[in-house]
Amino acid sequence: MARRVDYYFKETLQGLRRNGLVAFAAVSTAFIALFLVGGALLVGSEVGLLIAKTEANVEVSVFLTNDIPPSQQANLQQMLETMPQVQSVHYESKQEAYQRFLSLYADQKALISNVSPDALPASFRVKLKDPSQFDVVAVQLEGQPGIDRIVDQRALLNRLFAVTRVFRVGVLVVAIIMLVSAAALIGNTVRLAVFNRRKEIGIMRLVGATSWHIRMPFLIEGTIEGLLGAGAAILGLFIMKVSFIDPLRGKIGFFPLVGTPQIVHTVPYLLGGGVLVAGVASMLAMRRFLEV
Amino acid sequence: MIRLDNVTKVYKDSVKALVEVSLEIGKGEFVFIVGPSGSGKSTMIRLLLKEEEPTKGEIFVAGKNIGRLSPWKVPYLRRNIGTVFQDFKLLSDKTVFQNVAFALEVIGKAKHDIAVRVPEALDLVGLKDKVGNYPNELSGGEQQRVSIARAFVNRPLILLADEPTGNLDPGTSVDIMKLLDRINRTGTTVIMATHDNAIVDAMRRRVIELDGGHLVRDQARGVYGYGA
Repeated sequence: MARRVDYYFKETLQGLRRNGLVAFAAVSTAFIALFLVGGALLVGSEVGLLIAKTEANVEVSVFLTNDIPPSQQANLQQMLETMPQVQSVHYESKQEAYQRFLSLYADQKALISNVSPDALPASFRVKLKDPSQFDVVAVQLEGQPGIDRIVDQRALLNRLFAVTRVFRVGVLVVAIIMLVSAAALIGNTVRLAVFNRRKEIGIMRLVGATSWHIRMPFLIEGTIEGLLGAGAAILGLFIMKVSFIDPLRGKIGFFPLVGTPQIVHTVPYLLGGGVLVAGVASMLAMRRFLEV
Repeated sequence: MIRLDNVTKVYKDSVKALVEVSLEIGKGEFVFIVGPSGSGKSTMIRLLLKEEEPTKGEIFVAGKNIGRLSPWKVPYLRRNIGTVFQDFKLLSDKTVFQNVAFALEVIGKAKHDIAVRVPEALDLVGLKDKVGNYPNELSGGEQQRVSIARAFVNRPLILLADEPTGNLDPGTSVDIMKLLDRINRTGTTVIMATHDNAIVDAMRRRVIELDGGHLVRDQARGVYGYGA
């Protein structure tokens, strides 16, 4: 067994050296493809983080009309508080809304000077036990006097998530196209390696080497190309994190950002994907050339 | 050791390489297969190695019907058959020793086994002092000896030689024939395809003659052609 491992290692190294340029092209394509796959996975993690973070804070805003009588307002508050889906209700007066507006747009003086405290509506800020229960709550409030508008913040977030989902699918489609080209290129290097060694292969077949024994060095060669691509992709994701994501951290308010744990999470997928694509490509490339 | 039952091989372009050939070769025999180019000699060798399948008929090697052999067992069939060709088929980037050792390495033999068997085989073919040379440093006769050593190093039951003296001058050919004769005396069945009449006439061994794919003669102590 030891001598076989020795043999495979020697043959693989020779093969990689012999068609260096083609092997380089194959590794680079695998790198780009897997980098994109990793990117798509990270976008997914980002959306996950965002959902986890916001679902905890998401509220339903029940905006009130300006002429709502105090009795009706108390009535509404009591109604909301007794609903089983509601966790808590907070009344935001016109004055409080204005204060929040001031702090949100503190750097936009022109906007502030154009808005009077009276322009902003009072509202109930309703926190739900389960944010997806919005419809149930909305139906019960329907037709109640004094309500101007009911806004589910989750609906706004969903729109954001829909956009990211489309983006993610786009990245994945590009990644798959790149993976197919990577597979084709890896297959090509394997085919070249087989062609370069056709004389040895002919002799191996004559003296009774098993087809697995003949294929193994080529299979290892292809798989190593896939692994190198995956390794480079993981490294690339870390470099991207350090140079683009880390500088943003903490600068955009409540926005959570993906970090090292999420990248580490992609590692098995990228390594596995690289090995799988390269292995299948190598086997397919050899199938036509190494019939016994 | 080898039996052909009504073997016919027709290629795609309907060229009949072998037609209804039946023959039997016993263990330890030395057999010449003679005939002009295109008479079917090489086809017969390829069929015995199961590199090709007969169109009709059955072939038995060492008691096994090789037509029924599953593909993954073919390598094990070939380990019982040593092969020697006109063009030697040596690897130019390997030394004499490495070329012979290659045949054992690729079937997974242990290193210490290889270290014993390769010198033995090279000793048999008389190339003990050339182990470190590369094929291009050797004469044609010496290169063919290396290829015979490689074919014999795993002690096959059968040695197939396809025109082994085709590229050699008469004197060197005689040496190669002496070597094949010695191998035959160890109990190995030797089958040699050739159209070198001088050799066939000198050896006086069994001769099987093919012509246009037909078996036209099977003679116990034959010569190359009638009236020769």
